[in-house]
Amino acid sequence: MDVYLPGQGNQQIHDLNPTAFPPVGLFWTVEIPVGGVDVHLGKGSASLQASNVAILDYGNIPNALFFDNPLPTPGTVSFKVVWNGVDDRLNINNTDPVFGGFAGEFIRNHAQMEWSAVVGDFMFVSDPMATSTSSFAEIGHERNGSFLG
Amino acid sequence: MNLRALQGWKPTGLTNGPNSTPHISRRQFARTAAGTALAATVGSRLWTPRPVEAASFAPVPIPGGTPFLGGAYHVFGPAAFDPPDAEPATITNLDASVGLAYVSGMVTQTNTKTGDVQRLPFVDSDMRFMQGVFRGTDGKVHHGAFAFV
Repeated sequence: MDVYLPGQGNQQIHDLNPTAFPPVGLFWTVEIPVGGVDVHLGKGSASLQASNVAILDYGNIPNALFFDNPLPTPGTVSFKVVWNGVDDRLNINNTDPVFGGFAGEFIRNHAQMEWSAVVGDFMFVSDPMATSTSSFAEIGHERNGSFLG
Repeated sequence: MNLRALQGWKPTGLTNGPNSTPHISRRQFARTAAGTALAATVGSRLWTPRPVEAASFAPVPIPGGTPFLGGAYHVFGPAAFDPPDAEPATITNLDASVGLAYVSGMVTQTNTKTGDVQRLPFVDSDMRFMQGVFRGTDGKVHHGAFAFV
């Protein structure tokens, strides 16, 4: 979660990430119960939800990636993300040496989210899911590494 | 995570090529160990998600990483600062449903000590899931679900 001060050119004041600094291994990824993900590619819909995920608030992205100073504040976050619609269906076989190495079937669509968190002395409650918007969203099924080919 | 926020900000340490790694001091590594212990303490009170590194096996990170961050971090930002068809998953040796969204909205922040309430925007929060099978660090195939927060 990325929370900013209001206004143009706003400053980020909260950056909630699930793993410790430095994120040089598996990047900000945590295991959740399998039931936390529900996918229906035929309908173009999916959902992701989890409760009380342990996070660290680094304040902003540069601090989370490069500095770890000031030290992060621990907390927990709960969230639900919903993907819906079918703007485009794509079969991707990306062999690009930098960005690729995977293949799959994807749907570009839209997503919305509601979330809450407790970090230090702060409690966060987002507005209802229906008020949120996405600038880019996709769902799909992909294969990479030893499952590719 | 909103890596788009980094578009106007780039540390000089990340301009040396795709294999460059941000400088991390021994002090920062010590902090990492402390942070991991702290996260473990917080996480021990929770039954839900756990850092994947805590398991007896773990998923393997994708081998590459966005050139935008010097290739040091095993993540891409499809349609943010990488091509839309860039790899959305952070785990390799994966055969899974995946989803990615950059979601924005409003959140209410309450200071539980002072009662101060602020309405703040969350901007392009990068939320992802991976649910399916993966070959872990133990070389065996496992089933699981993961959230990228």
